[in-house]
Amino acid sequence: MRALSAICGREYASMFRIPLGWVVVSLFVMLSSIYFMGRAMVPGGAATMREVFGVWWALLLFLCPSVSMRIFSEELRSGTIETSLTAPVADGVLVVGKYLASVLFLITMLVPTLVYVAVLALLSRPDYGPILSGYAGLMLLGMLYLAVGALASACTSSQTLAFLGTLFALLLLDVLPARIAPQLPEQFAKIVYMLSPNLRANDFYRGLIDTSHIAFFLAGSVWFVVLATLVLQSRRWR
Amino acid sequence: MIQVQRVSKWFGGTGRSGVRAVDDVSFTIPAGQCVGVLGPNGAGKTTTIRMITGYLPPSAGSIRVNELDTINDSIGARRVMGYLPEATPLYPEMRVQDYLAYRAKLYGLGRTARRAGIGAAIERCWLKEVARRRIGQLSKGYKQRVGLAGALVHSPPVLILDEPTSGLDPTQIRETRSLIKGLAEDRTVLVSSHILPEIEQTCDRVIIIARGRVRADGSPKALVSQIQSAFPHTVEVGVTPGGRERVHRALAAISCVASVQLSGDGTDENWARFIVLPKKDVGDMREEIARAVGVLGVVCRELRRAQPTLEQVFMRVIESDDRAAEKETRGERAA
Repeated sequence: MRALSAICGREYASMFRIPLGWVVVSLFVMLSSIYFMGRAMVPGGAATMREVFGVWWALLLFLCPSVSMRIFSEELRSGTIETSLTAPVADGVLVVGKYLASVLFLITMLVPTLVYVAVLALLSRPDYGPILSGYAGLMLLGMLYLAVGALASACTSSQTLAFLGTLFALLLLDVLPARIAPQLPEQFAKIVYMLSPNLRANDFYRGLIDTSHIAFFLAGSVWFVVLATLVLQSRRWR
Repeated sequence: MIQVQRVSKWFGGTGRSGVRAVDDVSFTIPAGQCVGVLGPNGAGKTTTIRMITGYLPPSAGSIRVNELDTINDSIGARRVMGYLPEATPLYPEMRVQDYLAYRAKLYGLGRTARRAGIGAAIERCWLKEVARRRIGQLSKGYKQRVGLAGALVHSPPVLILDEPTSGLDPTQIRETRSLIKGLAEDRTVLVSSHILPEIEQTCDRVIIIARGRVRADGSPKALVSQIQSAFPHTVEVGVTPGGRERVHRALAAISCVASVQLSGDGTDENWARFIVLPKKDVGDMREEIARAVGVLGVVCRELRRAQPTLEQVFMRVIESDDRAAEKETRGERAA
């Protein structure tokens, strides 16, 4: 537990010791506020953040890979992976520690956006249920994206490759299904919808909390974290 | 204590396409001994060290550190080791004391033990004045010390250092060497290096690895004494015109002399320098030479036996290994 918290703490702190962490948070806050002003602050409109969440998803699509790209790639590039893997810590603990740090970073990125909820509350009487579930959906979606990114980062010592690999995987997972599903026969479209994280997250933005969606996101995240651990372990056996 | 038993390592499989980096290596390092691993680039030093530290598993054989198997009890074995990899990888964005605290936490040290460990490592590696500075801002010598402090923070009984002085300037090398000497007083130390004088001065024992195999193993003195017999003697004597041949004949007449050569450098017409090569298995011949020269009644102003060094041992081992490799290749081609 001590090692897990040490790894998580070091990784989280390191994200703010370099400009990248601050740039990502600033970018998210700036762009999310633009979308909030444009989509939620509509005179006469409903006091809801549903549409805002629908756009923030696209920000996560680009910002999550930029957070996850360095967690292993940087260690592989600099050689610090050797000191990490020869410390008396299981490989899984190392991966989970780093992954949790990126999830903490995601929470840090989302916390400033609570100001928008406060603004909405000042100006009208919003329904807090869909807002809470929307945040839960974004968190679960971000966790899955970060897990995919952790896997890509464990595969290469190049941060650029890790970023592009994650982005490509997320586009395949989320953007492509939304485009092709309407053209497919109903039974195939259903399967495609089931596999698309963002389409599942849409229910959360509407205020619907489906346990199957929660299970999907958590199982998906665990699956990719386990894969990242296996990739890291496989380096020992090559 | 480190026990390496019949360890081999292949990369890319054991077939024809695979590379055998380490081949049936065995050695035991008792507790408290400081051992240097020497070898040319690509000899298998780093791979051997990486297998001992648990970074790589051996393809065959077993490794035990303080009686803990590096595969079956990997975490336990890693706990008793401190490891400084080649090129000293560190986190440049961290402060020195934060980095040491992080390392201490990885090794499971509680708050009190952590404080004590960090304090001791900072003191031992002379890092007090840079303890609050970012690692990225430090010189290479300081970074090396930070790496060493990171390996020491949990007071491991076994310390493994891969090329600890690579890239350092002569002053930094001297500092690191004295640091390692100090560390070797109360723990088992395994150091890999290219720099032969460093190993000669620091270690009780030397293991020479070439082409993945142990080619020589012993104390620097013992290894050097193995090749003493073939070392030449230099004699410089005063000569009269035509007297050179007389001295040459007298030296060549000594029973244990294989050959005598007149050396041209450092002499004038009144002095002659001879290089006397003893026969195989003959060691120090200075007494015989002094007697032979004395009989002639000439003045001898220099009589010196070349002191064999670890470098010469190393070069001999590597050259004989190269010859063996060449022979092997020729044999394979012929087959």
